[in-house]
Amino acid sequence: MTDSDHPDCLEKKRITVDIIGGGKISEQHLGTLRHIEGVSVAGICDLSPVLARFTAERFAVPGWFTDYRKMLEQTGAEVVHVLTPPATHDRIVRDCLAAGCHVIVEKPVALSYPGFQSLWELAQARDLRLIENHNYRFNEPIRRLEQAVAAGRIGRVEEVEVRIALNIRAGGRYADENLPHPSHRLPAGIIHEFITHLAYLLLHFLPDDYGSEIDSIQARWRNHGGGELFKYDDLDVTLLAGTTHGRLRFSCRQWPDNFTVLVRGSDGIATAELFYPCFQLTPRRSVGQHLTPLVNALGGAKALVGSGFGGIWSKIRNRGAYEGLSRFLELTYAALQSGGEAPVTFHQMDATSRLVDRLLAEENRV
Amino acid sequence: MKLLVTGAGGFLGRHVVAAAVARGHQVRAMLRPATRSVPAGWPEHSAVEVVYGDLRAPRGLEPMLVGVDAIVHLAAAKAGDLYEQFGGTVLATENLLSLLPGSDVKRLVVTGSFSVYEYLRHRAWSALDESSPLAVNPFDRDEYCQTKLAQEQLVLERASSDGFTCVVLRPGVIYGRDNLWTARLGMQAGTRWWLRTGTFAPLPLTYVENCAEAVVLAAEYDGPERSLILNVVDDQTPSQRAYLKELQRRINPRPRVVPIPWTLMRLLARLAWLTNRLFFKGTAKVPGLLVPSRLHARCKPLRYSNRAIKAALGWQPRYTWQEGIERSLAASDTTALPPGREKSSP
Repeated sequence: MTDSDHPDCLEKKRITVDIIGGGKISEQHLGTLRHIEGVSVAGICDLSPVLARFTAERFAVPGWFTDYRKMLEQTGAEVVHVLTPPATHDRIVRDCLAAGCHVIVEKPVALSYPGFQSLWELAQARDLRLIENHNYRFNEPIRRLEQAVAAGRIGRVEEVEVRIALNIRAGGRYADENLPHPSHRLPAGIIHEFITHLAYLLLHFLPDDYGSEIDSIQARWRNHGGGELFKYDDLDVTLLAGTTHGRLRFSCRQWPDNFTVLVRGSDGIATAELFYPCFQLTPRRSVGQHLTPLVNALGGAKALVGSGFGGIWSKIRNRGAYEGLSRFLELTYAALQSGGEAPVTFHQMDATSRLVDRLLAEENRV
Repeated sequence: MKLLVTGAGGFLGRHVVAAAVARGHQVRAMLRPATRSVPAGWPEHSAVEVVYGDLRAPRGLEPMLVGVDAIVHLAAAKAGDLYEQFGGTVLATENLLSLLPGSDVKRLVVTGSFSVYEYLRHRAWSALDESSPLAVNPFDRDEYCQTKLAQEQLVLERASSDGFTCVVLRPGVIYGRDNLWTARLGMQAGTRWWLRTGTFAPLPLTYVENCAEAVVLAAEYDGPERSLILNVVDDQTPSQRAYLKELQRRINPRPRVVPIPWTLMRLLARLAWLTNRLFFKGTAKVPGLLVPSRLHARCKPLRYSNRAIKAALGWQPRYTWQEGIERSLAASDTTALPPGREKSSP
């Protein structure tokens, strides 16, 4: 074998990328794409010329556009990131697929399960990839949680709870009454911005890898804060997948902000916190019934102290809750370059979209 | 003249409305839709018409420009992340500009900011004026600088292509009631402790009533220039120490000031920058006062001049800086409208 035959020496396929949507999430995508080998961003498109130009200058992207169809024509991109508001995804994704581009799209791909199916069929018919961003699955605490569950550290999974508390009613873009955020008009109101994350994380930790049929869904959609702006500001879901219980919680009215995935098993509990990165494991110990609580308490204290310092360290290193997005994109581009399986599969997107539809279905509301 | 004042409910906006009415103009004061209280005296005053709109959404704003001779565009976002500030400042301006072709508006006054200048490469104690270079690496600076630069660039380009007269006013530090602190002094640690970064650096102050008069004069500008950029600073630019001493003397309970020498702050910022480069490849998030380009923008000692604005607009700041502080702390309302006819009932 010569040097040039060595796998490390094989040149990675160069991929040209376009970005549609210059909003806040675009800075996370563009910031990551700068560091992925073999990827070059050719164009950025936004309805606002000034935002498109500003973003292009900021990230040294050679072209900026206000018409994405023109951009696709001119840049000849192979991959497009669709980062526009969810209500626009269907039309834009459809056009990108029609133009022969693989699509990486912010969640949710579509506003309904039939919408997702239709886009997926189009992608399949054209032999193109359609990949939804499930970024939080790739955050470090979630990966540690995955490892602990896979290694059987907490035994058989009995219960999965995913909880987001985000005090967005207190201020910021979602609470702005002067210019209501477009997500308020989505089927789940502002919670539609977050519901995909809740759904894919729950499904990810349910046993049988999406094989089990979920039933007994009870979804409580509420607007505790009242008023016209928010359709719902609270969601409480309980469901059953085989013998495993699932719970989803979202609240706009609690403090402190947190994003927690908690998995209870037959032999322990494991928790991942994403906003203040932390992983905590409370397993069954071999030190005996009386010493187990003490050892677990010490282990928990160590994890909490580590998370306190780790949080500050993450802030200094400028790594926020979007850290998983970098890994998701690195794996996605590795798959695109090698032709391998994408880190978010059809089954994961399909099950997520189906679950979201069922959470919104009238018959499951209580 | 009939003026449309955007951001009329803001700190400067309320003073601009008062100054414009005092100079005999009709004012269409634009407030954001969710504004809960209209400034006292506006609804009844015959010279003021209150309208509601949010420039971040372009639709439905055309009627606001009907009959307007000049726009005083003050609406901007100073808080929030880059995208919130970009939306509130730059996209709002872009939407406003999109309404100008086809309207009768002949003049646009926009408030820029001193933050657009380059400071790091500017020599200490040298003069900073309208000819000074703009920020060389704006993406190293804060969101405010980035968005104000983008706004200015946009306005000047459109003025040139769409053929309206444009006056960009770059006020230094606008101070007044409830706005006596400025980041150019250092940092507030609670209400009782102030960290003063530097001692002798002159503050490019403009008292809000003085500044408001400058804004109205800019709206009246009828000179030969199509685009005009003017710094707004009052005649006197007290040092950080003098200004804080005056505040301390008048504020009860008296805040405690901890002075941090400018040389020490520069050294700390330099060290933080080096550490960031060496160990984090420049990606670490560091507090603004420890980022050299931002520290210099805030606290570098420089000299300022208001020759250009005086020559172009005939502006004469009415109040000294001590009078400005006194008026800011007095009971009287500095935004009160001069007496006028009451609106006739429909």
